[in-house]
Amino acid sequence: MSNNNLFLPVGFPRAPLANGVGRWICQLQRLTFKFCKNYPSSRGMREFLEFELLDFTKKNPGIVVYVKPRRHRAPNLTAEYLNGEKQIVDCRNFSYEEVKKWVSLLRSQSGRGTVRLLKMWHTDHPSIQGPWSPFVNRDPKLNWVEFPNEDLSQPIYIEKSATEKLIEIFEEQQRIERQPKQE
Amino acid sequence: MSIYKRAQQWTTFTRVWHLFDAKWQNPFESAKIIQKYLAGLHKPIYGPSADTGDHVVVINSKEIALPGDEWQKRVYFHHTGFAGGASWTFAWELHEKDPTLVLKKAIYNSMKGNLYRHTKMERLHIYPDANVPQEILENVTNQIRRPRLIPKRLDEYSEEEVEKFPKLIDYPEDYVIQKIK
Repeated sequence: MSNNNLFLPVGFPRAPLANGVGRWICQLQRLTFKFCKNYPSSRGMREFLEFELLDFTKKNPGIVVYVKPRRHRAPNLTAEYLNGEKQIVDCRNFSYEEVKKWVSLLRSQSGRGTVRLLKMWHTDHPSIQGPWSPFVNRDPKLNWVEFPNEDLSQPIYIEKSATEKLIEIFEEQQRIERQPKQE
Repeated sequence: MSIYKRAQQWTTFTRVWHLFDAKWQNPFESAKIIQKYLAGLHKPIYGPSADTGDHVVVINSKEIALPGDEWQKRVYFHHTGFAGGASWTFAWELHEKDPTLVLKKAIYNSMKGNLYRHTKMERLHIYPDANVPQEILENVTNQIRRPRLIPKRLDEYSEEEVEKFPKLIDYPEDYVIQKIK
């Protein structure tokens, strides 16, 4: 990992306007294919325009597609998104398949750009029962107790002392003695 | 952060004041319990650097009970830094000088020696008896249970109870029973 990654904007995965819940709005609004008609670096792009573009536009009527030939310059894909972001993909020497994959990526992403994900998940409601505080699950009786309080100071588990055990044995002995003897 | 969330943060990190009655308690055993409250280890939000510790007010530190013959055997060492400046103080001597120090040192030594220790010790309030200033006592909202029962002396039982108690032996006639003052 290079240090550059540390200075990426950080964030959580999220869908803009709850996209995909109930309805889905394509975030890609405008896609411009810039290419050269002669240069071999635009070959993949030209193949895409020839074989794939019309199918692409038919499948995605919501995306405005511009095709912009320009002489003797490297090809690129310029994508403009609903949130105002603009992404440019340099497509120099890209094959037909590569262009197809990049177009598919630009179409399906939200246009938020690259962020360093702090977690692989995000929720607006991390806890249903709410955050803990010292007053959670506290016995309301404690509100009118006066401190120091002797009862609250006693240990919860009290082991029987030797004296108490002795008294128990003694009482048991007395009980047996009091019973009528069987003969 | 909204006003609601900010208030929520305050509630979660509220400092609670606990009371601990050290009467007839082993200070070294109590120290382990008190130290947890000072560090905030009893809270689900605990983090070592999250400053989640609570205040603990300890009363009756004059009446602590050391195990065995520790009053005579336990020694507190101090060195002034000058030549011949070493001094050794018995626990009973130290307790006579300041009845809060044995407990305070027990709690101090039960904590890890890092930079948070002094902050945690600041939140400890030890009083030799039950006379706690009102401004301290009014903060207290919880009491820490003591680890052991307070033993009851023979002269604290009523005569009736003593009579009823099953006797194993009778003292010989010339046996002298020491009266407790």
